[in-house]
Amino acid sequence: MRKSFLSENPSVLWFIAALGLFTLMVTLLSEATGAGLISTSFVKTLGKTLCLCLIAIAMDVVWGYCGILSLGHFAFFGIGGYAIGMWLMYARTEGIVLESLAGQTIPPTPQEISDAIGNQIFGVVGSSEFPMIWAFADSLFLQLLMVVLVPGLLALVFGWLAFRSRVTGVYLSILTQAMTLALSLYLFQNDSGLRGNNGLSGLQNIPGFEGTPQSTIAIVFFLISAAALGAGYVFFAWIVSGKMGSVIKGIRDNEARVRFLGYHVESYKLFVFTITAVISGIAGALYYPQAGIINPGEIAPIASIYLAVWVAIGGRGRLYGAVIGAAFVSLLSSWFTGGGAPDINLGFYTIQWTDWWLVLLGVSFVAVTLLFPKGIGGLFDYLVRKQP
Amino acid sequence: MRRIFYAIALCFGTVMAAQAQELQTILQTHADEIAKPSRKTVNVALEDLVASGLPTVPGFLEAWVEKSVWQRGDGQFFIGAVEDDQINLRDVDSGAESTADKSDFKQLKPNGGVRRVIGTALVQFQLSDDNLTRRTTAVASIARRPAADQLAPLLASVEGEPDPALKARKIQLANFLSARFADNPEDRITAINSLAKDTSVEARSVLNQILQNSSGVAPSEPEGNIARILDPMQAPDAYYAELVEAGFAPARTGPAVIRAALEANIVDGRVGNIPLAQLGTDAARERAYAALAKEGLAPPLVTTQTRDHALGEYVFYDLYDEPNAEITAAAEAALSSVEQRVAFAQAADLALDGLSLASIYFLAAIGLAITFGVMGVINMAHGEFIMMGAYTGYVVQTFIPDYTVSILVALPLAFAITFGAGVTMERLVIRHLYHRPLETLLATFGISIALQQLAKNIFGTQARPLTSPDWLDGAWVISDVIAISYIRIAIFVLALLFLALILFVLKRTRLGLEVRAVTQNPGMAASMGINPDRINMLTFGLGSGIAGIAGVAIGLYAKVTSEMGADYIVQSFMTVVVGGVGNVWGTLAGASMIGFLQKGIEWLNPSNTLAAQTYMILFIILFIQFRPKGIVALKGRAAAD
Repeated sequence: MRKSFLSENPSVLWFIAALGLFTLMVTLLSEATGAGLISTSFVKTLGKTLCLCLIAIAMDVVWGYCGILSLGHFAFFGIGGYAIGMWLMYARTEGIVLESLAGQTIPPTPQEISDAIGNQIFGVVGSSEFPMIWAFADSLFLQLLMVVLVPGLLALVFGWLAFRSRVTGVYLSILTQAMTLALSLYLFQNDSGLRGNNGLSGLQNIPGFEGTPQSTIAIVFFLISAAALGAGYVFFAWIVSGKMGSVIKGIRDNEARVRFLGYHVESYKLFVFTITAVISGIAGALYYPQAGIINPGEIAPIASIYLAVWVAIGGRGRLYGAVIGAAFVSLLSSWFTGGGAPDINLGFYTIQWTDWWLVLLGVSFVAVTLLFPKGIGGLFDYLVRKQP
Repeated sequence: MRRIFYAIALCFGTVMAAQAQELQTILQTHADEIAKPSRKTVNVALEDLVASGLPTVPGFLEAWVEKSVWQRGDGQFFIGAVEDDQINLRDVDSGAESTADKSDFKQLKPNGGVRRVIGTALVQFQLSDDNLTRRTTAVASIARRPAADQLAPLLASVEGEPDPALKARKIQLANFLSARFADNPEDRITAINSLAKDTSVEARSVLNQILQNSSGVAPSEPEGNIARILDPMQAPDAYYAELVEAGFAPARTGPAVIRAALEANIVDGRVGNIPLAQLGTDAARERAYAALAKEGLAPPLVTTQTRDHALGEYVFYDLYDEPNAEITAAAEAALSSVEQRVAFAQAADLALDGLSLASIYFLAAIGLAITFGVMGVINMAHGEFIMMGAYTGYVVQTFIPDYTVSILVALPLAFAITFGAGVTMERLVIRHLYHRPLETLLATFGISIALQQLAKNIFGTQARPLTSPDWLDGAWVISDVIAISYIRIAIFVLALLFLALILFVLKRTRLGLEVRAVTQNPGMAASMGINPDRINMLTFGLGSGIAGIAGVAIGLYAKVTSEMGADYIVQSFMTVVVGGVGNVWGTLAGASMIGFLQKGIEWLNPSNTLAAQTYMILFIILFIQFRPKGIVALKGRAAAD
């Protein structure tokens, strides 16, 4: 079964090979393990980009293959980040607190330790109590479970409600966008229990590895992200191939016809929506320890729309298209907004790309939608087919 | 006896004392009190002065307060003003002017407390002064510092008050005063009962002052007018702290106290014979502390049990300052009736707020009701058209300084600009995507971020002012509780106008007929000689132009920034979807529901507008589950897709 799947989908092998080669090269050129040609911060950027590619293929499956334009997948990404961030922040603060309390003559009680940690974490929002949702923050295993369970359950409930009442097309998009907005507004409150607009910070410091240099941590996370992307790619490629993939694509092309053929359309949609939400959560849990900070602004509806933009530019309906789109646009974006692109002097006006990049992105996005609906991936198809 | 006589004389406002008496004579009778007054002694002199009813008394009292009364060496009083070494004198009775050498005179300098007593005595003269302004000032000063002795003069002055407004105010104020200070309890209760219908802040504060109480603790129930007996077990720790403060119980030993006591008594790495390393739990620490207490090294531990026992021994109560229980009962009743009325008024105010929020949402969404609702085009750049309208208003104001004219110019100009932008967008982008709604969404989103960034590049990131004309400033105040700003009324009126306009265009004009034909069946419409391209273009332009006008209106009350459109876009889409796509009435229903709902949720949780928005969105998501087609669902052929 496995063998036939891979032999039927040579592009998966190609992708894995390319990803492996890329990972190997970066590892060899990084500061931690090799020549030091690639700086640690750039390794982090590449690692983050791989996580974005992972959520992009999830988005591609739900939109490009199943036809559900979800404007809420970045919310799942953020939830994953918050879930892992809670453990990172708790465990690290606990370490610091224990160290500072160790100097006292009388050993601290559990209550004193918990109070001190609460003070450290929630002092910025004028509180020191641990909210309910932090109940499992001391356990890495349970928080990792939350990375998977919370986005999964949210997607399951939301999807069940939406698909059950046959909300489709743009209505569903607006509804998912509303969900994202509600979530980010909720997190912006100071009494949400997740530090309001301060978000969670200091996530780049991994508890238990205080002595390890950031360059090593960066390359380890890079490798984990690459492995996750590879696994996610194979998993999704497997899902969208075979009979199930055909049904999913059928739903995209003509939902009513698939329903009349006797398939339970809602279950398929719900499955795709939920599983992609879970993968998005995992991608977020890998992304934010590399980014170091997460705040509600990251979850704002605009982020989910950008996700759709990447997939559209990369080319919908092909997984490598999503990877290309996410990597290309996000790297280009950080190059332009980071001041990497040279300013253009028109004589009467100087175009500074930090100001004009979004205009360029918006316009090129309209152009891609109008002129190249298949995106960059479509270009590949064209080249592949040209060869004899 | 004389006092009562004078008080009665004053109440009737008639002059009973001998007219022939001279002011100077009275002053001489009380020469000592007047020359060296104290707050206690000055009253005797003031009573005689007031009782004399001489017309010269108010002038003398005013001069006295202003420290321009001088006493000559022989004890005679004069009103005077110093000029170099000379002093210009005026006789207190005849008003005859003279000049004398300053050295023979001593200035009277009553201190602040005395001046206040004199001022109070003066108020009763000012209350019946000929000058309306002075009477108003006197009434206002009573309202500011109500006191028992102002009641009688105030009542006396009501009868002769010529100004009807001031008279009503005097009666109201006299009512407040008699509710608090009248001698007869029945009078007070009558006055209190009459306050039960008054929702003004002043009346409420009068009632609250009557009901002022202080909490206390005692071994047994105290004498007096007890408001309520409190149950200490509701918040045992807080009540115990009260007990400690009253000196009835030893202070609670908290974790910090225990810790300090333990740290102070470490002997050979042990406390109370327990090794330090084992003191990592509260139980172990309490054991160690108990051991210390046994040895007398620390005060005994107050456990939860001892605390509860101590709380049971004492009575916690609220005691009214007012000793008469009937009066407090009447005030309680009046206050609860007032509060009920206030609650009604607040509900009305909330409804007004909801209405104005609904009209803002309606304005923001009505353009969308046309492009999205009628044409089915998802325009994510709709919010940016609102922003363009607002910036148009701002730019017009920089050229035309008169705010009224500039608004009148800005409204049609904003329509023209956004109409043009809409038509351009429709021609260049949207018409290629009519059958791919999801792609329309993404393409218009691209336009939206480009426009937003362009606005940021041109106008900067800080908010720009869009000033409303003077006649829109201020608020329409109906009562102390209900008020609405004129600008919100204007937005409401504008929303109504737009509703009428859109309905008229869609239902009563040739264009509206063609729009409806094209949206229902473009092919059939085309074969009837309608040009669908042209109609789509015009409809989209109309929807966009209305967004521009809405932008000017919204900019008047909110800030104009490049992100203002994004603030409204999700809400606007939800307004249209909740209301029911394809129907202007539906948009009205959706806007009303969302507006009232948001205000209602804000009222439940007033400190937190973010939470209100969150819950409202969640409600809308659920609502759409159960009515996917919105409040006003189209039926029949119009709902074909």
